[in-house]
Amino acid sequence: MKQIISSILILGTILAKDENRKEYNPCNHPLLRLAESKGLKAVPLKDIIKLRKLIKDCEESGGEDQIKRLYENDWKRDYKKAKSMASWTSTHAMVVVVSFGYYFAGRVLATKPGSSS
Amino acid sequence: MAMLPIAGNVIEAQPKLSIDMGIGFYEPTLVGFDQNETVQFPTKSIFNRNMLLNWGIYYEFFNNARIGYNSFLSYEIGKNILLINSEAVFRRSLSYRIFPIETFFRWRPNIELNFTLAPIWGRARIEMDTTPGDKTDDWNYFITSFGGSANPVSDMGATDAMVSDWIGYSSLLGFRYYVNTRLGVDVKAGFMNNQYKASEWRIQRQKVTGPELKIDDLPIFSIKIIYGLR
Repeated sequence: MKQIISSILILGTILAKDENRKEYNPCNHPLLRLAESKGLKAVPLKDIIKLRKLIKDCEESGGEDQIKRLYENDWKRDYKKAKSMASWTSTHAMVVVVSFGYYFAGRVLATKPGSSS
Repeated sequence: MAMLPIAGNVIEAQPKLSIDMGIGFYEPTLVGFDQNETVQFPTKSIFNRNMLLNWGIYYEFFNNARIGYNSFLSYEIGKNILLINSEAVFRRSLSYRIFPIETFFRWRPNIELNFTLAPIWGRARIEMDTTPGDKTDDWNYFITSFGGSANPVSDMGATDAMVSDWIGYSSLLGFRYYVNTRLGVDVKAGFMNNQYKASEWRIQRQKVTGPELKIDDLPIFSIKIIYGLR
């Protein structure tokens, strides 16, 4: 009787594990979803190692395209956001370029007091 | 009203925090140390004259702009500096504390060009460990008051520092290559101008004259690794 009960319990545990394994899909993990929707930098630092593991698991379980898209979209998101200068930032950049040019032109062209003669 | 579009973008922009570490190069003329005929300071080298240790932290507060803090540190240490009563340990640091406003744009998906304007709050510090005789007497007197043998201490050291602060400004053009979306290598070149005055040093709340340093009008170059925290 004891043997029958323990066999049922062991079998039940194994089947339950299999069922869990079937449901677990690393590609649907909330962290991966967050990285897809808001970008990789939106994932908190403490979850980065976990995210790397999820990415690896997802790739291994056939989600290579999804991961490839995740990285591509992240590059595109950053590029789109910063490819042209917004508002006052171009004026600031011009001030820097002019001061930089003026300084180095001065170093090359300016004469030191008393050196002209 | 003109500020309204800026305010709107500040609220909508995704906050981004990054840290960086690297090295800088410049060429100051530290006349007060190099041409000092009374005290023999350590021999000058690229490490204690031209190289700067650099670290910083930046916050992206607008679509194409960051503010932050950046520190360039020049450090020198020397032992057995011969003085009247001591063979002193000497430490000298020049710290250029920069508060940059950096604007940038992505020229290519992984290449960024950036433009930095920054006020500088500089600080020079000279620290010396000396061995004044009267200090040994004072400590012996004090320790002996608790009992035990007489004059247990034969040599004592004292550390004092003289400090000078100044303000300045800097302008830098930079090129950043992103290895991945978080990690990048940043190269910058530009200049800094420091309003240093040798007469404005202080030690133990007393005003003194420090070494002559030519640190105004300096070209500067830096290379650093950037890591985006979020």
